[in-house]
Amino acid sequence: MSLVLRDTYYVLRDTWFPRTLSCRAIPHLSALLPSNLVSMFDFSDLPFPVREDLKAAYRNIWSHFSEPGATYDATQRSGILHHARRRSGHAHPDQKAVPASIAELARTLYADPGSVDEALVRRAADDQGDPATVEAVSLVSMLAAVDGAHRALGLDLTQLPDPLRGEATGIVSEGLTRRRTHLPMPRGAIPSALDLVPQEARVFQGSFGAQYMTDAEMAYDDFERSPGLNRAQMELISSRTSLLNECFY
Amino acid sequence: MLRASANKFGYEMDIAAIADPGIPIGVPGGDLLLHLVDVLHGESAASLQSVHSGIIERLGTEALVDAAAVFGNFQMMNRVAEGSGISIPRVAIERELDIVTRLGLLDLKKS
Repeated sequence: MSLVLRDTYYVLRDTWFPRTLSCRAIPHLSALLPSNLVSMFDFSDLPFPVREDLKAAYRNIWSHFSEPGATYDATQRSGILHHARRRSGHAHPDQKAVPASIAELARTLYADPGSVDEALVRRAADDQGDPATVEAVSLVSMLAAVDGAHRALGLDLTQLPDPLRGEATGIVSEGLTRRRTHLPMPRGAIPSALDLVPQEARVFQGSFGAQYMTDAEMAYDDFERSPGLNRAQMELISSRTSLLNECFY
Repeated sequence: MLRASANKFGYEMDIAAIADPGIPIGVPGGDLLLHLVDVLHGESAASLQSVHSGIIERLGTEALVDAAAVFGNFQMMNRVAEGSGISIPRVAIERELDIVTRLGLLDLKKS
């Protein structure tokens, strides 16, 4: 089955929302999440509160992790995530379900993104296909977001969700090609980089607002959260982070 | 983008501080925010707790949460960039060549 995503909506638990909707609206939709996820990411170990939209964004990512993907079932997705977090001598059973080329990509992308090159990505893509490789890049990247924020707050990492049953959906976009890139993608900037797999792209794009800025907020150079950081302060963090990750982008 | 937002807030920012945090950045609390990133990347021996205390004292707890979220967001964005191999258009590099050169970005390998 294939699907070309041409609309301006994304789906959360079978309910359609405009893609322009900020994750800030999602806290009110917590009833749509599995009950075990609603109690996660409450940040009760911190002596100060965390924004509700950020909690909701992380719960949405975790919910996404627990579901079957476009090319991998949820156990394989869990295995990819455990490979990314892998500690020596500590293998999770789900890791056995992951092809070696994808496991290598997941580990390297999570631990040392600056060393990821075209050869590594193409090995995975040649072995497992472009959609599977996009799915792996997406999972590991979103995991790095949630884990990164936890490290920044001095918190232990949140346990990965148990995989749900079900087969891979097979839903991928058609007609995308490589544009001097490692993987097929449409023209445009980085928010569209995962569009080959709409299921990944919408969760990735839906996480920007709570973590950084929505598309609408990006239009304003003087955007600021009050209380909180203004855009210049946020861009200092993003610039230094990218520099230390050796990421030109 | 950083230069535009700093101008909008009236900051006299020295963008070279992105590559060399020893240089005063000229953004309120900017030294602490850069220091947070350095601690998380193992580029500073300071404790995370001491950086947290500084940010909370100067900018507030909400700012610390925002900083953690932005740091996480760019851990994600950098990995999507590296995994997908998306590149910066040559025209964009040429437009910002002064910044690219000052930050040593031409030494970075790719995306």
